Amino acid sequence: MQGPLTQFLMKNPSVLIFLGLLSAFTIFAAIGSEAFGIGFISTSMIKTLGKTLCFCLIAIAMDLVWGYCGILSLGHFAFFGLGGYMIGMWLMYERTRLIVESSMANAALPPTPQEIQEAIGTQIFGVVGGAEIPAIWAFAHSLPIQLALVVLVPGLLALVFGWLAFRSRVTGVYLSILTQAMTLALALYLFQNDSGLRGNNGLSGLQNIPGLDHVPQSHISLYFLLASAFALGLGFVIAKLIVENKMGNVIKGIRDNEARVRFLGYHVETYKLFIFVLTAIMAAIAGAIYYPQAGIINPAEIAPIASIYLAVWVAIGGRGRIYGAVIGAALVSMLSSLFTGGQIPNIEVGPVNVVWVDWWLVLLGVSFVAVTLYAPKGIGGLIDMIKMERTK
Amino acid sequence: MMKKLLLATAMCAAATTSAFAEIKVGILHSLSGTMAISETTLKDTMLMLIEQQNEKGGLLGEEIVPVVVDPASDWPLFAEKARELLTVHEVDVIFGNWTSVSRKSVLPVIEELNGLLFYPVQYEGEESSKNVFYTGAAPNQQAIPATDYFLEELGVEKFALLGTDYVYPRTTNKILAQYLADKGISESDIFVNYTPFGHSDWSKIVADVVALGADGKKVGVISTINGDANIGFYKELAAAGVSAADIPVVAFSVGEEELTGLDTTNLVGHLAAWNYFQSADSEANASFIETWKERMGEDRVTNDPMEAHYIGFNMWVNAVEQAGTTDVDAVREAMYGQQFENLTGGTAEMLVNHHLTKPVLIGEIQEDGQFDIISQTEEVPGDAWTDFLPESAVLKSDWKELGCGMYNTETSSCVQIKSNY
Amino acid sequence: MISRFLLLLACFLIVLPTQAQEGTAPSLKSIVSQNAPDIIKGSVRTAPPIIDALVALDDPSSLRFLSLWQEKDLWYRKSDEEIFVAEKREDRTYELFDIATLELVETLPKKQIKQIKPNSGLRALIDEALVISRLKSADMSVRQEAISSLSRLANKQHLLPLRGAISAEPNQALKAEMERLERFLTIQFGASSEERVSAIHRASDDLSVETRANLNRVTSSTMALKDMLDDDANIARHVIPGEADFSVEDAYQLLIDNDLAEAIPTASERTQFLIENIGEGKVGRFTLHNLDTQKNRDAAYLSLVAEGKAPFWSPGLSADILVEQFEFVEVYDERDAQVTQAAEVALEKIETSVALSEFVDVLLDAISLASIYFLAAIGLAITFGVMRVINMAHGEFIMMGAYTGFAVQQFVTNYTLSIIIAIPLAFAVTFFAGVALERLVIRHLYHRPLETLLATFGISIALQQLAKNIFGTQARPLTAPEWLDGALVINDVISISLIRIAIFGLGVLFFVVLLFVLNKTRFGLETRAVTQNRQMAASMGINPNFINMLTFGLGSGIAGIAGVAIGLYAKVTSEMGGDYIVQSFMTVVVGGVGNIWGTLAGAVMIGFLQKGIEWFNPANTLAAQTYMIIFIIIFIQFRPRGIIALKGRAAGD
Repeated sequence: MQGPLTQFLMKNPSVLIFLGLLSAFTIFAAIGSEAFGIGFISTSMIKTLGKTLCFCLIAIAMDLVWGYCGILSLGHFAFFGLGGYMIGMWLMYERTRLIVESSMANAALPPTPQEIQEAIGTQIFGVVGGAEIPAIWAFAHSLPIQLALVVLVPGLLALVFGWLAFRSRVTGVYLSILTQAMTLALALYLFQNDSGLRGNNGLSGLQNIPGLDHVPQSHISLYFLLASAFALGLGFVIAKLIVENKMGNVIKGIRDNEARVRFLGYHVETYKLFIFVLTAIMAAIAGAIYYPQAGIINPAEIAPIASIYLAVWVAIGGRGRIYGAVIGAALVSMLSSLFTGGQIPNIEVGPVNVVWVDWWLVLLGVSFVAVTLYAPKGIGGLIDMIKMERTK
Repeated sequence: MMKKLLLATAMCAAATTSAFAEIKVGILHSLSGTMAISETTLKDTMLMLIEQQNEKGGLLGEEIVPVVVDPASDWPLFAEKARELLTVHEVDVIFGNWTSVSRKSVLPVIEELNGLLFYPVQYEGEESSKNVFYTGAAPNQQAIPATDYFLEELGVEKFALLGTDYVYPRTTNKILAQYLADKGISESDIFVNYTPFGHSDWSKIVADVVALGADGKKVGVISTINGDANIGFYKELAAAGVSAADIPVVAFSVGEEELTGLDTTNLVGHLAAWNYFQSADSEANASFIETWKERMGEDRVTNDPMEAHYIGFNMWVNAVEQAGTTDVDAVREAMYGQQFENLTGGTAEMLVNHHLTKPVLIGEIQEDGQFDIISQTEEVPGDAWTDFLPESAVLKSDWKELGCGMYNTETSSCVQIKSNY
Repeated sequence: MISRFLLLLACFLIVLPTQAQEGTAPSLKSIVSQNAPDIIKGSVRTAPPIIDALVALDDPSSLRFLSLWQEKDLWYRKSDEEIFVAEKREDRTYELFDIATLELVETLPKKQIKQIKPNSGLRALIDEALVISRLKSADMSVRQEAISSLSRLANKQHLLPLRGAISAEPNQALKAEMERLERFLTIQFGASSEERVSAIHRASDDLSVETRANLNRVTSSTMALKDMLDDDANIARHVIPGEADFSVEDAYQLLIDNDLAEAIPTASERTQFLIENIGEGKVGRFTLHNLDTQKNRDAAYLSLVAEGKAPFWSPGLSADILVEQFEFVEVYDERDAQVTQAAEVALEKIETSVALSEFVDVLLDAISLASIYFLAAIGLAITFGVMRVINMAHGEFIMMGAYTGFAVQQFVTNYTLSIIIAIPLAFAVTFFAGVALERLVIRHLYHRPLETLLATFGISIALQQLAKNIFGTQARPLTAPEWLDGALVINDVISISLIRIAIFGLGVLFFVVLLFVLNKTRFGLETRAVTQNRQMAASMGINPNFINMLTFGLGSGIAGIAGVAIGLYAKVTSEMGGDYIVQSFMTVVVGGVGNIWGTLAGAVMIGFLQKGIEWFNPANTLAAQTYMIIFIIIFIQFRPRGIIALKGRAAGD
């Protein structure tokens, strides 16, 4: 076992560099955090960092499916969101059950199981005009099952959708629009109150982990940061393992000329389907770690625009190089949070007062255009250029 | 300038408040995204109120500094920004939110960090957080009186409850359906329809509503349609020639601001229920409107959530002065029983359930986009838990004596200290 | 002086105003001053006696007073709540006139007086009171008004005056309306069965909501127990509990109301009894901690029943069995069986034609929706369909067109003129924006089609935010000219707003023009040549850069015009583009790329599908959209190239 791994690492020093940087970053965050360290990184910053790591993970998935396999999916945030919903159901159900049981302990008669169920239903669905627990919540009481569903539900959706789409050879722009339609349909479905997932309100209060009431958020946020970093590291390694293999060559071949690969005897659809499902699962896991940090998930999260942003991150970071996706996601989401946070001082140019909150999106939009036009390989491309300069 | 740069660096380092002698007020309203249409106005209102207060000499001898952030109509971002306001900027109070879902997103953060939020919009009730003061209307201050008006004054026998598909219309309609059932309206005489946000294709729904009149009963529409979907709805209503005399529509989310996007000539006589209209006749209102227009332009209007911020901010200022500190717990104690003149000529009082007493006004839409107030009640105390749903009727909120926002009067016990999220 | 005397009198006679006549003859002023607080407050609950008293005076001044009240022309003096007619003067003070004589009493600043605002319910009551006298008015518009208010609130007393008015009416159109109204009144309040039945027959061709309303009033019914009825009850039919809309619960409630059964205690009521009977940690012989299952609780309750401490209940007790022992019937409120029979027949006939009309109406709606989708997508059919450029900023071009319309209306106040200016201007603005976009961005990306998506998405969010910074975040009005207000009414069920017809017309116009431009002009030929094979076209002497620029400009310009149309019917906000972009792409893709016919087919399919689903599921529009998209996804699996797929070389890839 030692052999191939060392070989892989030797061939791909970027894996070690990446893991090293990620560990350094995590240790730095832990030392700086309010939980265990000296506290110069606020809890809200830890949460932002943790969430950014999750974005990096889904960006890796996007890079695999688009940058390597050439499928411009505009629907990966649907899987991200589904992952969040699956874990959110358990978080919400369990937290509510604990509250309900402790409050019912004072009742005149000991509560019957039905009464507890009814009370949980009222608590969770009361605010959205309902009272009964829908059938899709059947497993919400069990953490292991919901964790399995985090992988199974998005994976199955990706499998069915991908099988249908690839089988009938929908490619290119058509596939992009089809994936966009899928995420729109899912978002619209979840927006309905009758979907059983609390409609527009979504699932909220997810940062309060049931049974961990006594643990302060500063600790919880750090645990999730660590989990995010672990998942990201794992995702990076898996992505590298795939692309630096024979399989990587096949999918790159599919990207560059699908027909030619098919004529070479490869079953193109299976490869595409494998990558599509795998990345959907990566996205779902990223979502399942992301939403407990965000605290709330609702259907607006999976609106088509989110997936377009995802594509933009990857493009800015540079497609076809896994670390590029990470850089793009981290950069754009951190900048967004910086500019909308009111922390950048407004510039007063004579009579014109540039309020960043008003102009940030204009700036962002224009920079997308600039990147596509002048740096088609993104930031990763720039790094390549610097490397090339050196080796010269 | 230096101070601002320092603020910028505070991003990474939790700044120590003692460095600044100001009182900070966080403003958490979306300035981009779908809700910007409504919330930007509230940000401007807050800036105006803070400026006015600073002109009067600030608060506790210190200057009030607004901290504006943009949660961009993105609900998780509301939680993130709220945490940032409380821990990084260390604001003393937050004024913000519009949608219920954004409030639910912020709630756990505010409760965890013991912050203070003033929420200015009419909402569905069924909530009373220790850390939130609800300066907008609860259902019994808007929906129930408006329904009474329909039943008693207009003689409506058949109801179309049209709403946008989200929590406020859902809960409000659930309460109204129960209320109407109690009043003897049978289930078959209530037509419910939900549409998505920003819906624009209304012809079928308007036709369905008109067809309700086929059994000879007087039809009325109770609309909880949100935001810009109203524009298409009212345009279709006007095109179908539905006059207020045939089928009156009372809206809970349509105010002066929404009507600026419409030509109201064909809508004259349709109704809205609020706790404030710009046309309210009082001196305080006249001067409020004057300063607003001076600041924002002659064509700008005032609306109900603005009044809620006006009352909320002034009450908070008075409570801080009374407590002599901006400490959240001290201010909260001082808030109870706080009274302030509202803009419609009465007095608002903060109750122990964190809701206000407010008059209910019903206005008819006029040609100039304003409302003609045709009915104004005495101040109604806001009820956190509605009396019209059996599971809520037994609950009450009293933060002063009982220290509980969800107190079950049947079992005499506190269901939970924190809120439902 | 007199009023003061009457006030004094009122102190002695605390009676209803109508009875005040016992003392002195009532006058307008006496009635008004006695009831001043109620008139000022103006509630439907207190107003009827006052209105009756005023009408009973049968005096022009009191009727005039009612009109003024209704028109919100009455004011009162805050100091003594005396009511006047007021008129605003130029210096913002008000002249107060006496209500009876209309003589000037005094002039007061606004602060000291307040307007009396009756609500619409009260205004309708006044309407009703004035209707009889208005019917006799010499002014036709007043009679017209009387008729339209009668159509809302007619009752028995209006039948005779209406019949009188019909014979005197000179205007034919108004007469026809009166006759129709008379028919409705006869159906309900006619003196004899024959008269009513014949009115019903005459009405049975009319499918208006009013006709159905009147017939339904005649056939209104209630559920009853057969044994409790009189012999002459007009029974509609026998009903079985649990069928149609008569539930077992309703039936059981009827039994309870008639003292034939007792309410069955519900689970929570039984629990309540258990709680009330707790003693020393026990209910009867059951210890409390065992009562955490429904089974044990039932057993405990039964023991309470046995002790006589709780109302009877047993596990097998159910309402179903009890109601089976009784016979239930539906009974007409109307006693005259001949009339109800005729009304049922007429209703049935009307319902059939209503159903047919509703179907036609849904078809019209679907056509209208399809034309909106078509209009929104047609620009994209050119930029995406013909040029294969994924222009995510297409929605923002629609928005730019709409804002152009809004901006024009700021300067040109005549709506008709402003729309005439706005349409070419919107085309020009978005045409040049499109040309600029093509020159600056898209030209560089023709060989990287997927990346145009990213670049134009950047443009899209930048434009959206720019619009917000310029026009503000509020929705802006774009008002249709008056001749586009209102609707084309074919009958009471089938109607469609004129603005939608205009949009349909615009869609057809675009379709024809584009078809002509692309297929019959040199420009169209060159466009097709360039998009099919750029090099070949260039070698034939066509300037591909120029053609691409013009084509993109054309597509964008059309989006701009579509924006004006969409703004007229819906709303103008900076976000409106986002509502149409995904739909538009789907329209083009479903229809088949590269072909205007395809876009038409796509729009028609999506429009009809959405309306069709809504027709089956009217309560939830969101669900309709979800199912539609799922259908599209499945559809594309089977026809990946859309409904109308290009064949051969042109299909390219």
